[in-house]
Amino acid sequence: MATDAETHSGTGRLEFSLDVPFPSSREATIALRSLSPDKEPRKGGITKQLTVTDNLLRWSADEARILRVSVNSFLDHLTLVIETMDMFGPPVDP
Amino acid sequence: MTVVIGFEGSANKIGVGIIRDGEVLSNPRRTYITPPGQGFMPSDTARHHRAVILTVLKEALEQARLKPADIDCVAYTKGPGMGAPLVTVALVARTVAQLWGKPLLGVNHCIGHIEMGRLITKANNPTVLYVSGGNTQVIAYSERRYRIFGETIDIAVGNCLDRFARVIKISNDPSPGYNIEQMAKKGEQYVELPYTVKGMDVSFSGILSYIEEAADKMLSSGRCTAEDLCFSLQETLFSMLVEITERAMAHCGSQEVLIVGGVGCNLRLQEMMGVMCKERGAKLFATDERFCIDNGAMIAQAGWEMFRSGQETDLEDSWITQRYRTDEVEVTWRD
Repeated sequence: MATDAETHSGTGRLEFSLDVPFPSSREATIALRSLSPDKEPRKGGITKQLTVTDNLLRWSADEARILRVSVNSFLDHLTLVIETMDMFGPPVDP
Repeated sequence: MTVVIGFEGSANKIGVGIIRDGEVLSNPRRTYITPPGQGFMPSDTARHHRAVILTVLKEALEQARLKPADIDCVAYTKGPGMGAPLVTVALVARTVAQLWGKPLLGVNHCIGHIEMGRLITKANNPTVLYVSGGNTQVIAYSERRYRIFGETIDIAVGNCLDRFARVIKISNDPSPGYNIEQMAKKGEQYVELPYTVKGMDVSFSGILSYIEEAADKMLSSGRCTAEDLCFSLQETLFSMLVEITERAMAHCGSQEVLIVGGVGCNLRLQEMMGVMCKERGAKLFATDERFCIDNGAMIAQAGWEMFRSGQETDLEDSWITQRYRTDEVEVTWRD
């Protein structure tokens, strides 16, 4: 898992990215589809982008505090999804 | 044969239940209980649910003696409720739905209560009083919607009771409302409190402010006991609920009342509603604490009805929502 935090010189916003490896792209897609439907509780000040290509997640935030809260929640949610997949996986054949 | 598993965690109870064609196969549940004087906060509640949900899910399958392959549909609470706990539960529901290759169904929590009440009591077409810590509504079915005839214009009746319990620092185990009910039985003096019915609706925040202040003054001066206040609060709140229920019944020409939601466990409320029903020649229906209080099976039951009438929730649309009106849902499973 690689992480990166820096201030993007162009927009002045903080950028953070997270690499989450999965055993297969099928499982990465399952995790993505579980984690993406809910909107960020905070309106404005933060955006995040989840993609399955290379299992990369990207955040963009106005303030470090907002970024920290969002990333924190996300990591708790990700842990729960992974634990669920460990306990009740592997996925059935489609 | 249709088997539905339901996930519920919109407040401090986390439950997973399995229903097969109207039979409750399992319904395990855990409650997050805070110390006396404290309410439950969203992130702590979500943390509690996260820690136990997979265990409760395993119990539900084991007690029902089923494997994931036996499940036809995964139902979960889409809303209304507290954001963080709702997300926690939705995440697990979405994940297992995908792992097991089953369709997903987002259920309205209030409708879960109604459908469970209908299943257990076999009430035909009742006026429903839905009363809990988070909701207070009088509901009647009409033309494919559960229509809200009356409701609280501020806080729920259960919220009023729970917050009063905090003021007098009584235990939240098993629930503050239960402990208020036990103390009320020992009340000997009726203390007059504001009575705030507003037409078809009710208001409770004024009563709460009044009794919080009164508790402070009257308990320290010894003018009355905490038991007297519990008794007086129940009599006042429940009379108001009986009044607005009766008003809705008169509108609809209804001869049945169904009480659902955690506050529906309260035997004094059932007694008072029973008196009104008897006077009108109507029948009262209520369930016990297994089904009154938030549980997974009620979500499974509403999900069962929705699924069999052809509904399904796409993953992209499966986001949770803190606000979700009972009348927003098209009741495709009734005429």
